Amino acid sequence: MGEKKLTSKHYERELREVKKNLIYLGALVEKVIQDAMTSLLERNSDLAHEVIAGDDQINKLDVEIEEKCIRLLALRQPAARDLRFITTAIKINGHLERIGDMAVNIAQRALILNKEPQLKPYIDLPRMADITRKMIKESLDALINEDCDLANKVKGDDEMVDNLNEQIFRELLTFMIEDPRTIHRAILVTHVSKSLERISDHAESIADMVIYMVTGKSVRHQYSVEDSEK
Amino acid sequence: MTYIIIIVLSMVIVGFVVGNKVKNKLMEKIEYDLTTYARMINLTSPQKEIEKKVVQLARISNARITLIDTAGKILADSEEDISRMDNHLNRPEIQEAKVLDKGTATHFSHTLGVDMFYVALPVKSDSRTIGYIRLARPLVEIKNSVRELYGLIFQSFLIILVLSFLIAFIFFSRLTSPIQEMEQFTKRLREGEDPGTLMIDSSDEMGRLARNINYMVMELQERVWSANEERGKLEAAFDSMTDGVLVLDSQDKIEASNKAFKDIFGIRYGDIIDKTPLEALRNVELQNALDRFRETGIPVSQEVILKGVNHIILDVNVSPIQGPSKGEKKIMIVFHDVTRLKKLEKMRVDFVANVTHEIKTPLTAILGFIETLQEGAIENKETAINFLQTIYKHAGRLNRLVEDLLTISDIELGEKEFFFESVSISGVVENVLPVIESKATEKMLTFDKDISDGLPSVRADRDRLAQILLNVLDNAVKFTPVSGKILITASDNKKGYVTVSISDTGIGVPEGEIPRLGERFYRVDKARSRELGGTGLGLSIVKHLMIAHKGRIKIESHLGRGTTVFLSFPIFEGEVDV
Repeated sequence: MGEKKLTSKHYERELREVKKNLIYLGALVEKVIQDAMTSLLERNSDLAHEVIAGDDQINKLDVEIEEKCIRLLALRQPAARDLRFITTAIKINGHLERIGDMAVNIAQRALILNKEPQLKPYIDLPRMADITRKMIKESLDALINEDCDLANKVKGDDEMVDNLNEQIFRELLTFMIEDPRTIHRAILVTHVSKSLERISDHAESIADMVIYMVTGKSVRHQYSVEDSEK
Repeated sequence: MTYIIIIVLSMVIVGFVVGNKVKNKLMEKIEYDLTTYARMINLTSPQKEIEKKVVQLARISNARITLIDTAGKILADSEEDISRMDNHLNRPEIQEAKVLDKGTATHFSHTLGVDMFYVALPVKSDSRTIGYIRLARPLVEIKNSVRELYGLIFQSFLIILVLSFLIAFIFFSRLTSPIQEMEQFTKRLREGEDPGTLMIDSSDEMGRLARNINYMVMELQERVWSANEERGKLEAAFDSMTDGVLVLDSQDKIEASNKAFKDIFGIRYGDIIDKTPLEALRNVELQNALDRFRETGIPVSQEVILKGVNHIILDVNVSPIQGPSKGEKKIMIVFHDVTRLKKLEKMRVDFVANVTHEIKTPLTAILGFIETLQEGAIENKETAINFLQTIYKHAGRLNRLVEDLLTISDIELGEKEFFFESVSISGVVENVLPVIESKATEKMLTFDKDISDGLPSVRADRDRLAQILLNVLDNAVKFTPVSGKILITASDNKKGYVTVSISDTGIGVPEGEIPRLGERFYRVDKARSRELGGTGLGLSIVKHLMIAHKGRIKIESHLGRGTTVFLSFPIFEGEVDV
């Protein structure tokens, strides 16, 4: 009895540790996105270098969380809610790591763009970055508070980012057509915009995982799932 | 219960004693009766008569009468056929009578089959015993009497029992009702209601106890009140602190936060309680500080930057709370907002760097040209004049810069004396315009003036007011491309101010840069401004002068379309001061 109690206490602690690490990773990712976008918008190359260097920590944390989750699965055989949490954590962990990579991508583009004169004042890009950052923040909030409503809201925001991405692409296209000298810079900016769009997709996936974790229902690829149920 | 046992025991003893006494008395009486009857029969009648009348005698004496001769043979019996009776000589009463002249005995009568009390007397004739007369009564009578008595005792016992119960109940209720009252009282007290006062008015232990309880409650309430008051003070202090404070429990969960914390982080109350700071704030640097503190146990101080719409720089201190129990390690995190401090520090550093830079640029040029002149360029008169002109230009710029700096420092130090008087805006504008017009005509700018008639005079220092207008107009001219327009208007805004607006059709300023325009050496486009001969101090001087005038400055600008500067001066109200 005493041993069992001790084990379960141990287990609780390990579970808490995973949750803490995951949120820490989330916080880290939030920070690097912010820094990456700042490095681009404020033409701060030092910050961009910082972001690129910081990816190492994110990668390490990613591996650590995954190992912890697998250990928990193998040794404790969790059930029900805990099982859902751990499997969700593994997936969210992956998404967060990918977001970190996107931030590095943006920072690398920023480094190149900062060496050249600014193509045009950024208007849509900061807006897109704001929405993306909000999505990441809210998806993590939803994870922490186990809030399905918030997770659903995040899913709704993805469309705005997609639209902005297209708009930026169209605008840059006109620049490129008018003046071929801008092509290099314009392509780099479209890369940034594409990265942001991907980040928002990852945020949406995290929101999906949160809904699965809380309700036990999978809402990914919603139409196909509903069809197969019929 | 004990009472009942005592009562029952006493009743049993009383019953036993009284029963025995009554029994003995009755026996004595019966003995006496029977003896008397026997004597009377013995005296009055000769033996033969008795034999014949034995039945009648028995009826009178209410006893069984038996006549026995000396040999023990039954001569007559009032109730039995003598032929069926055996010899009675060995009966104890007969034996006793033979010796003592009288015999008594209680035994079972075989003849009648019941317990009987016997009295026997010798029948004498000439002092010789010729037989015995024996009278007997059944003991049933006595037994009945005793039983009756016992019944009586039992009845009284029942009555006593009921009575004693009644008395006990009354006694008990008198004793317990104050206890019940106290119980209710303490219950109310425990549940936090106002218990009032215990109203038990008696001088015994109960009354004293009640009074003690009343005193206790009074003291308790006083202590609770003072504790509440203390807590209220602490809470007020906690909430009115300008530094944000977080209290974490041993699990790192947020236990309490103050108002300043909420102001800094912009979180509603209730959202963060019971969450870890990581969950609530998701700040990596804060979590690092917290982790380091948990590892080392040494108070940690760290700078945390909150990025967002407003950049906030916080000095975060993590320290332990000495809690009542040693096992629980609570943590207090104090957030000190150092954004302003950092900003001022940066401004100071920037200022020194800027001043050095601004002075160095013309100085380098001057030194360079002088060197060239020294090395022989002075011989070539045309070049020399050209160089000297350049040197003059740069020296002039240096001079302006120093003058501007002096002006600013004078205003900031408060050493500049202002002479406030009633000044007419239109007059000052008339004075200033010719100075600026020469520059304006070079760029073919058109001036428009729309100053309403009969404007009230403003309270201003005439020379300073001119400087303000000059600086603003100078900027307008500088940043307006060739053949642009500049419009000066002045109007009473009916709120105690006269507003002068100076708008141009210049290059404009991005909206985000407007708040920074008053900073020293701040330039939207550094290269261009210097090219135009600005020191970067013009608007800064205007800003400071406007503050000294208790006026207001507002700038509206649209990139590429122009800028409008609104200057509001207080209307002169007759007072004269310095």
